Amino acid sequence: MRRRSTLVLFALVVFLLSAVVGYAAEALQPSTKDKCPVCGMIVHSSPQWVAQIIFRDGSYAMFDGPKDMLKYYHNMPRYNKNKTQADISDIYVTEYYTAKPVKAQEITFVIGSDVMGPMGREYVPVSDNKVKTFMVDHKGGRSMKFADIKAEDLSEENAPTHHMKDH
Amino acid sequence: MIKHYRILEYALSSLLRRKYKNLALFLIYTLIVGVLSSVMFLTHSLKSEALKVFIDAPELIVQRLSGGRHELIPLGYADLIESIPGVATVQPRYWGYYYDPNTGGNYTIMARTTSAELDLITGTMPQEGQCAVGKGVAQARQLDINDIMFFTLGSEQKLMLKVVGIFTANSSILTNDLVIMDKNDLLRFFALDKDKATDLMVKVNNEMEINTITNKIKRTLPDTRPITRSEILRTYENVFNWRGGMALVMFCGTLLAFFIFAWDKATGLSAEERQEIGILKAIGWETSDVLTLKFWEAMVISLSSFLSGVILGYVHVFYFGGTIFDPFLKGWSILLPPFDPIPYIDIYQVVVIFFLTVVPYLASTIIPSWKAAIADPDTIMR
Repeated sequence: MRRRSTLVLFALVVFLLSAVVGYAAEALQPSTKDKCPVCGMIVHSSPQWVAQIIFRDGSYAMFDGPKDMLKYYHNMPRYNKNKTQADISDIYVTEYYTAKPVKAQEITFVIGSDVMGPMGREYVPVSDNKVKTFMVDHKGGRSMKFADIKAEDLSEENAPTHHMKDH
Repeated sequence: MIKHYRILEYALSSLLRRKYKNLALFLIYTLIVGVLSSVMFLTHSLKSEALKVFIDAPELIVQRLSGGRHELIPLGYADLIESIPGVATVQPRYWGYYYDPNTGGNYTIMARTTSAELDLITGTMPQEGQCAVGKGVAQARQLDINDIMFFTLGSEQKLMLKVVGIFTANSSILTNDLVIMDKNDLLRFFALDKDKATDLMVKVNNEMEINTITNKIKRTLPDTRPITRSEILRTYENVFNWRGGMALVMFCGTLLAFFIFAWDKATGLSAEERQEIGILKAIGWETSDVLTLKFWEAMVISLSSFLSGVILGYVHVFYFGGTIFDPFLKGWSILLPPFDPIPYIDIYQVVVIFFLTVVPYLASTIIPSWKAAIADPDTIMR
């Protein structure tokens, strides 16, 4: 009898927890254990760069920079066989000037700037009204929205010489 | 195991046979380790206490300069700085120095801000007509909570404040000489303009942007000087390192003298000691046993002096406030004596002291005995 009630309680807790997690599509705080699935680096040591993909089932992936997040997003089968882009609930990146998480779709990414992330050249997330300032201050090359970033751009970013030829 | 125990027993009794020599060695050894560890403990304690508080400091402090000297900064500058992208908040700070003719002490007077200082206090933070004081100020003026504190500047300006809080000893390195009061009291007492502050405290969201913001402030407000937190930290660290280094240099001679002394005592095996080794070998001891014996002898001396030296240093620094080194390590305006360092022990430092003293001593004893032990007992005893 006693065992049964414990079981019921356990099930209830699990249910409630999963409901809470499933609902919470807010940005998460990286824990000390979170590793970037693309490069394997510990995420929490550079909090001003953290990017995250939160799935509908409450699981998530933390990245040490928007570039790795984009690589993951555009090549999901390689990094996570169980999930597709359709499973994604929200994508957050850390805005450069406020150091706070913002949805990736609501922000502009600037490439070719002199600001280096943990993995070198970055897609720096800048809120739309500050893009101009950022371009001037940090010699930004090109700015683009999340939807405009193509998988091909990412490989181009890997080869700096190509990139320099662009402008 | 039993064998080691027996050898240790023998080593102790042979140490006892040369009581005075070994006692002298032990005392000098202890003294040296004590000096070394006091310097390290004191520097480290001062450094980590000061640095710990600066971790909470704002990323930038903006001062206005006039003729190369610090000048009050107009509050209008705060809005200009706040409009720079990446700046989180700008807060004016009001502070100054006050010479107290009654006690002959210099106090730092500061207006209450909403920063992290709150958790340092016993009692409450002051409202208008009230103040909170550091432990040093409270002792000098014999103040307790709810007492009234007087400030006078010339004959015109007077201020009477009720003490509502006293800073705890834990933070005394920064709060010892501090008096916190309300902004309006401070402005009135120092007769400052209402639209000016002493300096501005700027918080920055993304630390990568600090340099850009600093440059922008310099460009738009050429009469200001932004000071970054890392610059402040670096300056403090250099000051402490330099002072600790000075003290160490002064004791370098002592350290060298000790090495010479230890070397002489330990290496110069007397004829008597050689003979002893020879006898031990003749009655059937092996070379390894002799070495174990010598190892234990050296270990007893060096380990016990090392431990008592470290304890001596600890007691000196943390119970007597490092009295001997006060003049080297302190003596600049923000540190008012008495200063009670908070005990911090850095394992790294203890290990460094250990390797500087115990290991060379062990080596310098064992090697000559090994030389004597491998020789033919007959030749040694002759």
